[in-house]
Amino acid sequence: MKANSTYKIPKGKLLKISLEHNENKEVIDKISIMGDFFAYPEESIELLEKELKNVSLQEDILSKKIQSVIEKYDIQFIGLDCEGIVKGIMMCVK
Amino acid sequence: MKEQWRFLTTGYNNAFFNMALDYAILSANRERKVPPTVRFYGWMPSGISIGYFQSLKEEVDIEQCKNLGVDCVRRITGGGAVFHEKEVTYSIVVPESHPSIPKNILKSYSRICGAIIKGLDKLDIESKYMPINDIVANGKKISGNAQTRKENTVLQHGTIITDVDVEKMFSLLKVPNEKIKDKLIADVKQRVTSIKHEIGKEPLFGDVVNALKVGFEEEFNVDLVKGEVTEFEKNLAKSYESNRFSKKEWNFRR
Repeated sequence: MKANSTYKIPKGKLLKISLEHNENKEVIDKISIMGDFFAYPEESIELLEKELKNVSLQEDILSKKIQSVIEKYDIQFIGLDCEGIVKGIMMCVK
Repeated sequence: MKEQWRFLTTGYNNAFFNMALDYAILSANRERKVPPTVRFYGWMPSGISIGYFQSLKEEVDIEQCKNLGVDCVRRITGGGAVFHEKEVTYSIVVPESHPSIPKNILKSYSRICGAIIKGLDKLDIESKYMPINDIVANGKKISGNAQTRKENTVLQHGTIITDVDVEKMFSLLKVPNEKIKDKLIADVKQRVTSIKHEIGKEPLFGDVVNALKVGFEEEFNVDLVKGEVTEFEKNLAKSYESNRFSKKEWNFRR
């Protein structure tokens, strides 16, 4: 199943999430994190998308996972943050 | 003696080549084949560039671009979709280790935008930096900017709007909700300005370039010395253009 969301990050940029998930909305099958934000290095967004595959669609688990990926690849966001990505994802399944 | 940086004016080129040349200059500077460089350029035909993280299909009416002969390209920098028509575009490439470049990315946006602000001042336009990546005059956007850092090298490019056709822009860019398109156009007209609007006449490309050149020289305390694109950069740009920027796989990858 596919779902999309658009979320304006407070004091930041416009985040657009495209999400594929299983029927029971339990885990992420595939995700695209799009928008007019900045991320350094840019390629890290694709790594984050890959790392989110099969991750449970629960706020706390998502948040921990994203935070760990940010640290792992030393990602720097401008106009976007972990909280915003979680919110964008959860909007897709609500 | 002041430090000397290279000053390039590469005239009008298509969207794919323009993005390829910025990337080629970054690569050449990274290999220390060329000094820090400030380039000014224009777009022919008119183009749309989208940010690295955007979806071309979501942001742009591709059919309408074809109809109007507008090329679309994905940038290597983040940020939003830009319609490039009546504008002066700049790029600056400089090692991340340069003492004038703050380590903090947002601070470095502000620093580089300082050059544009000083340049606009030469045209009698008072402006200021508006985080994250805009410059505003009289509260309205006159310049948008985007930066990437690759292998310890900074590339920032941006546009200085000389004139703007908001209706045309929104015939090419998609809006989230067609029903409020008219309101959106009205809003953007309130929020975007141009050199023409500020000084009452459309400026000459060369006059804007000269003003901005002085802006960069003052902000960074350097001399910008007129130079040429090297053979190395030309070849690399051609290769980036054909293998990346004009490719569907790149432009439609998200």
